[in-house]
Amino acid sequence: MSTKTTNLLQGTLDLLILKTLAHGPLHGYGIAQRILVASRETLQVQQGSLYPALHRLEHKGFLKSEWKESGNGPMAKMYSLTPAGRKHLAAETAEWQRYAGAIALVLES
Amino acid sequence: MFSNKKAESDLNSEIAHHLHHLAAEYERQGHSPKEARQLALREFGARDQVKEECRDERPFAWLTGFRQDLVFGLRMLRRAHIVTAAAVLSLALGIGANAAIASLMDIVLWRDLPVPDPARIVLVNWQGQGFPRELANGASGSMFRQDGFEVADFFAFPAYESMRRTVASQATLAAYTFPAQVSVAWQGRPLIAEQRPVAGNFLATLQVRPHLGRIFSLADDTDAAPAVAVLSHRFWANTLAADPAVIGRTLTIDNRPHIIAGVLEPAFYGLFPGDTTEIYTPIHHAPWRERERAEGNDRLLDPRNWSVQLIARLAPGVTAQQLSPALNAAFRSTWSAQPTEPAPAIRLEDGRRGLGVLSRSFRNPLYFLGALVALLLIIACANIANLLLARGHARRKEIALRMSIGCSRFRLIRQFLTESALLAIAGGAAAILVAYAAANLLGQFVAGNGTLPLRVSLDHTILAAVALFTFAALIVFALFPAWQSSRLSDPSWLKQGRGSIGGIERRAGLTGRILVTAQVAMSLVLVMAAILFTRNLLSVRSADPGFDRRNLVVFGVRPGASGYEKSRLMQFYFDLEQRLAATPGVASAGLAWMRPMNVGGWWQSARLKGQTATHQTSVNAITPAYLPLYAPQLLAGRNFTWSDLRADAKVAIISEDLARALGGPQVLGQVFEFPDGPPGAVPESYQIIGIAPAIAATSMKERPYAIWVPFSKAGQEATVVVRTTQSPDVVLPALRQTMAAIDPNLPMVDTVTMEEQISKTLLRERMFATLCLAFGLTALALCVVGLYGVLAYYTSRRRAEIGVRLALGARPSDVVAMVLRDGLTPALIGIALGLPAVYFGARYVQEELSAVKPLDPASLTLTLATLLGAALFAAGIPALRASLLHPLDTLREE
Repeated sequence: MSTKTTNLLQGTLDLLILKTLAHGPLHGYGIAQRILVASRETLQVQQGSLYPALHRLEHKGFLKSEWKESGNGPMAKMYSLTPAGRKHLAAETAEWQRYAGAIALVLES
Repeated sequence: MFSNKKAESDLNSEIAHHLHHLAAEYERQGHSPKEARQLALREFGARDQVKEECRDERPFAWLTGFRQDLVFGLRMLRRAHIVTAAAVLSLALGIGANAAIASLMDIVLWRDLPVPDPARIVLVNWQGQGFPRELANGASGSMFRQDGFEVADFFAFPAYESMRRTVASQATLAAYTFPAQVSVAWQGRPLIAEQRPVAGNFLATLQVRPHLGRIFSLADDTDAAPAVAVLSHRFWANTLAADPAVIGRTLTIDNRPHIIAGVLEPAFYGLFPGDTTEIYTPIHHAPWRERERAEGNDRLLDPRNWSVQLIARLAPGVTAQQLSPALNAAFRSTWSAQPTEPAPAIRLEDGRRGLGVLSRSFRNPLYFLGALVALLLIIACANIANLLLARGHARRKEIALRMSIGCSRFRLIRQFLTESALLAIAGGAAAILVAYAAANLLGQFVAGNGTLPLRVSLDHTILAAVALFTFAALIVFALFPAWQSSRLSDPSWLKQGRGSIGGIERRAGLTGRILVTAQVAMSLVLVMAAILFTRNLLSVRSADPGFDRRNLVVFGVRPGASGYEKSRLMQFYFDLEQRLAATPGVASAGLAWMRPMNVGGWWQSARLKGQTATHQTSVNAITPAYLPLYAPQLLAGRNFTWSDLRADAKVAIISEDLARALGGPQVLGQVFEFPDGPPGAVPESYQIIGIAPAIAATSMKERPYAIWVPFSKAGQEATVVVRTTQSPDVVLPALRQTMAAIDPNLPMVDTVTMEEQISKTLLRERMFATLCLAFGLTALALCVVGLYGVLAYYTSRRRAEIGVRLALGARPSDVVAMVLRDGLTPALIGIALGLPAVYFGARYVQEELSAVKPLDPASLTLTLATLLGAALFAAGIPALRASLLHPLDTLREE
């Protein structure tokens, strides 16, 4: 797992987590893996920031969690989006696209 | 917060689950299960840190953390319970003393009169050049020098009446007079009370509300109206048993029936805190006026008799500056004679705090004591700061460990502050009791001539003061150590042994030493104050008054107020003296006009007839038996006889020092006069028939020239002094029996022994001595503890070094010298720093010291010796202990 990875921009981790969970419930490890795969092994989420972020989003009411048997191995804490999380994701996505578009405009000029 | 356990196990499972997946991934890549597990752990990184960060994301995480801090803090405090108790105790004393002084300052200096809208109350004075002799031939009030003028508070009653009418649209003007003792009979019981005659509109002007009945109006203040009285709530509650049925009943005041019109609201304490007034009556019915009328000499309406004081309430929208010219014009128009130049003018003073009786005499003492207790609290805080620094230092391994497993520095500081706050809260809680007790003790000392002891209730003021000082103390003692300790986070300490001395260790030691130095400097001031005021009290108290002060009893009688007619008074006094002298256990009894050792009294300037040099003298009128009570033998001449008294002979006995000032023993037989009579009148003159030894007649603090004249004009009241052959306590019941046999309705006023009378005049000296001694001892104890603590701690840190020194041949005496040097250096620097403070502070207490000089060399020497002794003691113990170390033991500890 020694691919070349990029550090996440401050504040974007929440957005990535919300987007990842929009496809369905996942546990912490799964979220990290999904982001890694989706970014073609570019974005590696540090465990040190993943779990605090998950807990933060959960306490803010954007995520909910439940303990589930996960095939083989120990019980897994499965996170899923709440309606508030879905709304937040939409707003944050729009905001991000506006931001990225603006950056792109500047870079292309 | 309550599901803490579940949250913790969830967190652990979640991380375990993550690790499980990671390990599975590695296994898939071909590692053995054991290797895979280790690789997973390595990749995950610092689990505790992740957990800690997750915990920080919980809602109310700070609260959970606070509870942990609290529990942990309590555990740390409990573990060092003796240290904790000492810290809490010193904080309680320091905070309590500060809060006590602050709440007294509030009462004496800052609090408004308990009346509606106090900002509109003004005191009306006039200023001019001295007593207006051309306009007045008698005055009752006070006069003092201010801004180059003589400021006085007395006015003639007719002038008041005219001024009141003239300025009625701008202000209500009300007259009052000084309170005086009166004899009161309530349901046949004789009592002494303080009564203040006031104008009919006085209570209405202040807008004091009645608790029962009504207050006066101007209609009550006429000769035609029946005599009425309004009682203070205190008098009604204490003396009349708070009986609500008293309204309309009769109270006999100086043998004259008064109808009780009302009782004032409890909050109204009078014109100043500690006001003794218990009964208010209209001026037209004042006892002195009744006496004057009985003597055919009614002077109330005499425009030259300046007998009342004035207070005013400004009308809404009117300022004192606007009132002043109108009042001044009204004042001038009342003059019957041509004004003197420069003319007296009205001077208005802020009256919102009432008469500044207490604030005038206690402002400086309170500021001075406030400064001392502030120093005391800082000393206590320095001790605790040192303690916290040392403790933080001792815990540096724990701190380093906590930081390395993910504890943030902020969290660490918070932990330290929580522990400190626990200390402060415990100290503050105990300080409430200290403050309450100390404020009431101090309130006793404030009492004096015409002032009641101040009672401080446990109200929001004192609680706020305690809270304020607790918070201030917390800031002072806690912030720096917390910050400093949180810097001790170098993980290398985890590997370090005990004995090494790193840079930070030296620095922490330096901070401790600086704190101790400051403590010594501040203690020097407090110890000096303690020694100075104690010496002052002791030398005033033990001074020789010139007579045997044991076995003397003093009390007053007021037969005039109990219905004795003037013609019978002389015979009454003669019989009284005879019957008292015949009482078992009594050696002799004498009568005088003025109570001895009562500070104030009857002062006159006197000069030999035909000469111009005058001398200020203290005068008393006495019976023949009075002087022998003090001085059995006159130095020259003869004593008075009862025939001198009956014949109203103009003869006098003078004190030896006055005789010397007037020209020596040959003044016997010469005539002197009191030149300060009314203008134009012939001054009273007396022939000197005797010279008596100089005795302290008025107080222990001054020894004025004394003149005694015959007790001829039998007054309404007299002071009785009795010399007993046994202890006064034994003889007192017999004295009371004799008095009851003479007249059961005649109360004995203020019965005390001479010793008690003397100590009454030394209340202020006792206040300073008691308080400063307590502060000084506390400061000294704190200082010893502080110095000892710092030395003991840092000496113990240097055990290994000392062991090495001893092993390499240092003698135990070298070690003692080394540690002593360590301890005495801050003490000596502190003393050097404290001396200028003592030098400059001394001038502020000059007027409070009557028997010693502010920079009394003996006191200064004693202070330095005390502090050096204390420093030697504090440094000696750790020094000796260090010298007794065995090198091998200390080396083995590594």
